[in-house]
Parts: sequence; structure tokens; C-alpha cells
Amino acid sequence: MKNFARSLIRNTLCAAIAASFCYAAPSRAQSASPVSAASPVFREVTDEAGRTVRVPQPVNRIVSLAPSLTETVYALGLQDRLVGDTDYCDYPPDAQRKTKVGGGISPSLEVIAALHPDLVLATKSFNRLETVHSLDNLGISSYATDPHTLEQIMASSKKLSDILGVPEAGASVAADMQRHLADLQKRLGALPPKRVLFVVWTQPLISVGKGTFIADALRHAGAVSIVDAEQDWPQVSLEEVARLQPDFLIFSAAHSDAVSPAVDALAALPGWNIVEAVSNRRIAVINEAVNRPAPRIVSAIEDLARQLHPDAFVEKPEGGKEKLQKENPPPNPQPAPPSSFSPGAAQAQMTVPGGCA
Amino acid sequence: MSSGSALARNPFEPARAGGDSRLSVEQVSYAYSANPTQAPLFTLEATSFQAKPGEIVAILGPNASGKSTLLNLIAGSLAPLSGRILLDGFVTHSLTPKTRAQRIAVVQQESRLLFPARAWEFVLQGRHAHGRSLRFESEDDVIIAKNALAQVGAADLSDRWMDEISGGEKQRVILARALAQQPLLLLLDEPTLHLDIAAQVGLLDALRRLAAENRYTVVVVTHELNLAAEYADQVVLMQRGRCLRVGPPASIYRRELLEQVFQTPLTVEMGASGRPRVTVLSERSGEL
Amino acid sequence: MKPLTLRRLLLQCSILVIILFVVVVVALKFGAVPVSLYALGRDLLSVLFGQSSQISSDYGLIIVNIRLPRILLGMIVGASLSVAGTSFQALLRNPLADPYVLGVSSGASLGAILALIVAPHLSISPLFAALLTPLGAFLGAAATITAVYFLGRREGQIDSTTLLLAGVITGSFLSAIILFLMSTLTGSLRGLSFWMMGELSTPLQKSVYWFLGVGFFVAAGAIYTTASDLNLLLAGEKEAMHLGVDVPRVRLVVYIAASFLTGLAVSVSGAVGYVGLIVPHVMRFIFGSDHRTLLPTAAIGGAIAVIMADTLARTVVAPTEVPVGAVTAVIGAPLFIYLLRRRLT
Repeated sequence: MKNFARSLIRNTLCAAIAASFCYAAPSRAQSASPVSAASPVFREVTDEAGRTVRVPQPVNRIVSLAPSLTETVYALGLQDRLVGDTDYCDYPPDAQRKTKVGGGISPSLEVIAALHPDLVLATKSFNRLETVHSLDNLGISSYATDPHTLEQIMASSKKLSDILGVPEAGASVAADMQRHLADLQKRLGALPPKRVLFVVWTQPLISVGKGTFIADALRHAGAVSIVDAEQDWPQVSLEEVARLQPDFLIFSAAHSDAVSPAVDALAALPGWNIVEAVSNRRIAVINEAVNRPAPRIVSAIEDLARQLHPDAFVEKPEGGKEKLQKENPPPNPQPAPPSSFSPGAAQAQMTVPGGCA
Repeated sequence: MSSGSALARNPFEPARAGGDSRLSVEQVSYAYSANPTQAPLFTLEATSFQAKPGEIVAILGPNASGKSTLLNLIAGSLAPLSGRILLDGFVTHSLTPKTRAQRIAVVQQESRLLFPARAWEFVLQGRHAHGRSLRFESEDDVIIAKNALAQVGAADLSDRWMDEISGGEKQRVILARALAQQPLLLLLDEPTLHLDIAAQVGLLDALRRLAAENRYTVVVVTHELNLAAEYADQVVLMQRGRCLRVGPPASIYRRELLEQVFQTPLTVEMGASGRPRVTVLSERSGEL
Repeated sequence: MKPLTLRRLLLQCSILVIILFVVVVVALKFGAVPVSLYALGRDLLSVLFGQSSQISSDYGLIIVNIRLPRILLGMIVGASLSVAGTSFQALLRNPLADPYVLGVSSGASLGAILALIVAPHLSISPLFAALLTPLGAFLGAAATITAVYFLGRREGQIDSTTLLLAGVITGSFLSAIILFLMSTLTGSLRGLSFWMMGELSTPLQKSVYWFLGVGFFVAAGAIYTTASDLNLLLAGEKEAMHLGVDVPRVRLVVYIAASFLTGLAVSVSGAVGYVGLIVPHVMRFIFGSDHRTLLPTAAIGGAIAVIMADTLARTVVAPTEVPVGAVTAVIGAPLFIYLLRRRLT
């Protein structure tokens, strides 16, 4: 009996210690608010994941958890307010000099907390919901985007600019994107879209689903993905590709040179030379910016459009033979100036500003 | 508790009524079938016998005669199909495992330990039934365990690892564990199977001595004719699930009966001590 | 002859608790953001005395709201897995048994996946949303425990061999379903592979910590009451019964409690591997096989192991975090080989 009493006391003591830890530790989550001298003003918005977010006003310290969001912040001219981003945020080059918080899937909550951000930006395609919930637990506001089309990318940027207090910059960025896309639409609208396979990975063969912004980008570039899947990253069978015989295979890379060894390797794989696009080397390379739902995606789309429909851009003597791979676009994402020699473009310019209805 | 009689039953616990026979096996039968819808693969027909404190009973018979089944029924690990087994008036199968272990100790042939243990740890396991489930051994437990080892002549093995001692020594330690349970009834299933002759004799001498000193009732399952003849006070002769005869060796060991049961020619002589001695004959009708 | 006494047990546990304390302090100090010991001590003291408003907001948020809960979670997970591992090794009489051998982790993972699939279609308060994955995992674990129990019975009682077979087969089957789902639903399940490797950064409310703590002590306590029985069970089931152990009852209690502990741990942290397998062996190596010592020391040892592994996971490639299950695997496997060889010589 004595032994039992002693062990009972011991167990109770351990339980009490543990309980006090439980009580002490997470209970102060809400009281340690970020550093702001005056009592902060909050604005309630709904983010693209359906969450209600209380955004402190003004937003002076931003942490971005995705490269696309970093690019967007820069495009909105708010780079001075960006205090932290991920290891993968490499564009523009200045983004590489910001404090790194880790990867997209598992950023360090500590580093984020130490930066005392007013708002953390996340996106569903690059980050996890758990990270966002953890930030909620710490009392750090986070806003999640989830664009699936070019329209949504533009709307997302505008909404973000509004929340961050620079609505004019957002409107301007969106308008700029809209203009380029409209121009493309005019050039390509009458042409039948090229049937393409966007290759994310070769082994196993993975492409993009129809609900992704990449698929939408392809549509704007005058192409249509032969893969019609609900999933975001469907695994496609070679048989299916051979049956559908796409006109082009599209790879995304920073430089076209990086792609040719991969394509050669692909052609050497058994069965792949059934696909005519492989045996005839009808490859198009799109800038990696297509992987990021940010303003820069438009220039990647334009570049792809040039490769797929060179005849629509015939104003400049670029040669544009179908079989050759095009030069890579310049790294600085100056949107390609609308060529003024194409009759179609000239007409567009004449009709756009308040012309005949 | 004085150490001298430490192995005896607690004198303050009253024995139940039941005449002077401690163990009473009454018309016990059993049937085992692998599948409930099939006919039983094995049956034990109604068997009865009784045993007193201090007595050694041998359950004797060839292989597959039901000896081990009978022992398991007595041990309470099987429930009889009909009949009952009483130990000091209690039905063994209806006791809780813990109470049962306080009265009945079973000595296996050998023990496979998953993790290494020392002999004294092993023997102390016998005290488990006497106390609450979660507890630390008391000084009394330690004394009882020490005495148990001494009683089987294995005191020097106390600190040795179980997997480092010989078969005979291991058997003694296993017996010591059973003694540490302070049982009324000691059950052994073919204890001499893996032992050499000296060890066999040593074990049975010890059993006889312990039974007398501590008033145990001992039931030994064996197929060794001469050992049973030499040491048993009663023999239960089994064949193919039937109990043929119960009685002292002198009355059981009849040549025709044993030849029929063991299916081999043999001769039976009466020894000087009044105990029979069996000699198995070979085909050359000489002695083996 | 030196039988175990309460005093010796408390002494052994105290040594381990001191080591645990040191490890916790180290874990609180180290991380992606450097924290000085002085600041640490000051903040901890103010927390313990309830004056949390005095915490300097620089470190306070990090120490109290990020590291401390994570360490607490690591303790509970480590202790639960180690106790469960010890119990299964005794229950199945198999030194290679770990908490996941009976399929509980596969069931939990499947539950988590189903929760992730279902979540977007439910309209739930944000408070609840974060708990959906752990809840799904726990329900998955509970369903698996029940299924394996009924499959693992023979003649109405748990039988070790049948249980092992039932558990392994169920685990394989559930893993196959998981693989199938993961290959067809690649988009929405991105974070899942991270979770399945075992990680301690799941966001949890305070009430969940309470539940974990209470659940651990109740289940581990139940197992501890059978500690002597487990010692005997290792000698063989028949022998244990002859020595007074109510084998069916002990098996049932241990099975349910140990599976519950495993489900608890996996629900909140994913399947952290090797802890439940190796910590019992290390403790057995140091303290012997008596479960009255083994269970508490394994619990504390498991807590120490997971906290150490998690500290490494947080710091080795900071600021990125490695899943703690990766660290336990990298360290655990060679350690196991080492123990194996020591035992054989």
C-alpha cells in the first residue's frame, strides 16, 4: 500500500507539472502582439481561401511565402516593405537579398515571428494550410491567394494592392497585363490554337490539369493542352500522348539550352519517337515565369505565342521557322513592345482608344 | 514468517472441507476439435482419481494418450466438458488465474525467455500471484525465493543467467519458481524429458522429499515406466484418451496390461522395496 | 539478489528527468532565431509565475508560443511512442515490434487524407479547420484499432500471432489505398508527404494539449498497472497464466492502451519513425527488461529522443525545417545496428 501510494503521488506530481506547462505555454498566444506602438487598426477581408483575415492597417512589414507573391510585391513597388521571403524567391535579383524564412512547405515560424510582419502572404499552390493555421495561432495575420486563371491572377494582384494600400499600382499592373493579353487575343483570335503537351516532368510523365493557371496561360498563348484532367498535376500515359499527337511539346526553362539535352534524352527513351513532336523536335520553350502566377507570366505567354504562331508576329524579320527553337526571352521582363508594323496591331491601336464603337 | 517453514502454506488460511483428499478429479472429460462443426479430433473420456497431501501421482501412458490434456484440466487452463476438479473444495477452473496460481504451480519442460534474465529474477516471478498486480517485491518475497532455490539445491545458481546454465540446472530453477508460489498442488509435465539419468533421479528425489516435507500434492505426467514405479504413490494409467486403471504401482503394473498399453513386450518384476520394475524386451527376446 | 525497489526506480527516473530538463533548455535555446540564455531564463520564469505580459516581445513569441508548445508536443509524442513500442514488443513477444506494426499509422494517415479531401466541401469554422487533420487521423487510427482487434482474435481472445498478421496485413492494405489516393490526387495532398514523415509543427489549440496530456497519462498508467504481468508474459503465455496472469485481460488492456497512445501520437505529428522501436531497446540495454523500470524510463527516454531530434530538424538547415521523422530515421537506423551488434557480442 505504501508503495502504491508513493507511485500514485509520483504520477500525480508529473501530471501536475505537465499540466502547468500546458497551461502556461500556449495560453499566451494572443497576448503577445506584434510590435506596433499605437493600438493598431484592423481591416477585415476575405482571402481567396475563404478565410476571414484581420489585416492591420497600414501594412508596413510584409513576409512573402511564395516566389509569385514576391514578384507581385515588387511589381506593386512595395519592395521596401518586404522584410522576408523564401529560399526560392529569386526574381527580381534584389529579392535574393531579403531575409530568408525557409522553403514554401516548411518555413521557419520562428524566423517569420522574429521579423514581426504585419501581413504574411501565402498561396495555395505553394504553401500548406497548416502553415497558415500556425500563423493564426501565433496571432500573425496571413492572407492566402489561389488564382487558377489569368483573370484571377490579375484580380488577385488588384485585391492585394488594395489591401496593401496601393490600389493605383495594382490597377496599373492589372491594366498593363490586360493590355498585353488583349493584344495577343487580337493577333491570335482568328487562328486555330496549337495542340500542345506541357511537360512538367518526363519520368513519370506529368502535365498540367485544365484548372491550373498554366493551362489558362497556354490558352492565352494560342495553344490548348491536350490533357483534359481535373487534377492539377496529372500523370499522363505515353499511349494517350501518342494517340493525341500534340503539335508541340512545351517545356519551361530559364534558357532553351537547358532543354535540348533533356529532349534528346526523351527522344532516346523507348516509345517516345512515336510522338511526332518528339521525333521532329517540335519543341517550344517557355520561360519559367509561367510557373508563377505573377505579372511576369504575361511576357512568358507572349514569348510562347511567338514560337507557336510566328506568322501572327511577322512584322519583325525573326525568321520564325517552326522547327527551330526560339531564342530565350531577355531576363528583364520588359513586356515586349507591341510591333507597329503588323496591320493587325496597327488596327488594334487605332481602334482601342475611344474609336468607333 | 519464519524462514524454516516459509515454503509451507500460510497456516492461517483455513483449508476447505473435502475429506482428507486434497485433489479430487471427478468424472472429467474433454473434447477438442479444430472446427466446431467437425467431429472432435481428440477426446478424453471420463476420468477420476483423488490425491492426498504429500502424495505423488503419476499420470502414465504412451504418446497421445491424453496425459497432458488431463494435466491442463487439473491446472485449470482448460475447462472440462463434463465433471469437475476440486482442490481443497474449490473448482479449479472457476478460480481467477491469480488465485489459481496461489494454489497450483505448473512446472514446464523448459522455458524460453525472450530477454535474458537471472535465476533469482526467474524464481521471483513465482511470487507474482501473492500480492497486488503492480508492486515491488518485499523482503518476504526475497526470503521465500532464496529458500526455494535452496530447497532444490540451486542456491549457487542464483546470480547466473538463465541461458547460461545447463538443462538440469535450468529444470531445478524452474522447479524453484514453482515452489516459490507456495502451492498446494505441484504439476509437472514430462519433467525428465531432456534430462540425463542423474538429473532425472535428482529431480524425482527432490520431488519426493519436498512432497513429504511441505505436504505438496504432486502430479507428474510421464511415460517413463520405471521412474513412475519408483516414485509414485498412485499411478493413473491412460491409453488413447481413456483412463484404464488407477492405483498404486504394485497393482497397476501387470504385464498383460502394460504390454497392451505400451504395445511392446516387457517383463515385470517386483523389486526389493516393494516397487515393481519393468524391463522392456527387444525382438530378439533378450533384454534391451 | 537485488530485486527492484521503488527507491531505485525513482532514482533512475530522476536521472532521466534531469537529462530531459537539460535537453528542454537546449531545445528552447537553439533554433533558427538565436536566443540568449539570459533572455530565455527570464522569460521562462515570468511565464511560470504568470507574468507573461512582461515578456519582451522579441523572444516571447518565439519561445513561449513556438518553441515551448513544440517541445511539449515532442515530449508527449516521444513518450507515447516509446511506451507503445515497449508494450507491443511485450504483447507480440517480438523485439522488432514498433508502434506502427499493427497498422495504426496507416489508418491514421488514411484518416488524415480523407479529412483533407473532405475539408474543402465542409463549411466549418476556422477554429475547427485546423483540427480537421488530427481529428481525421485519430478517427482513422481508432477504426484501424477496432478492425485489427476483431481480425486478430482467435476463439474470442487476442492471439499474438494472429494479431500480428492481422495488423501487418491491414497496414499494408491501408498503405496501398493511401498510395492510390496520393497518386490520383496529387494537387490537394502536397503537404501530406511531409506530415507522413513525421513533423511537430502542426498547429494545435491549448485544449488539444490538455487532451494529449491526459490521454497519455491515462493510457500509460493503464499499461503500467500491467507491468509485472508483462514481465511474466515474456516468459510465455501459458507460463504467465500458470503464474497468475490474467492473460486475456492483460492483452486487451495493453493492446487498446498502446494502440491509443500510437493513434494519439500519429494524429498530431504524423508517423515519426524509429522512436518506438529503438528507445525501448536502449532503455533495456541500460536498465534491464523489467517493465516496471522499462515503461517509465522508455517514456522519458522517448521524450528526450524526440526533442533532440526535433531540435536538430529545426536547426540543421535553418531556416528550412526538416521533418523530424527524417532525423529519427537517419540517426535511428545506425543506432539500432550498433545495439544489435553489442547484444550479439
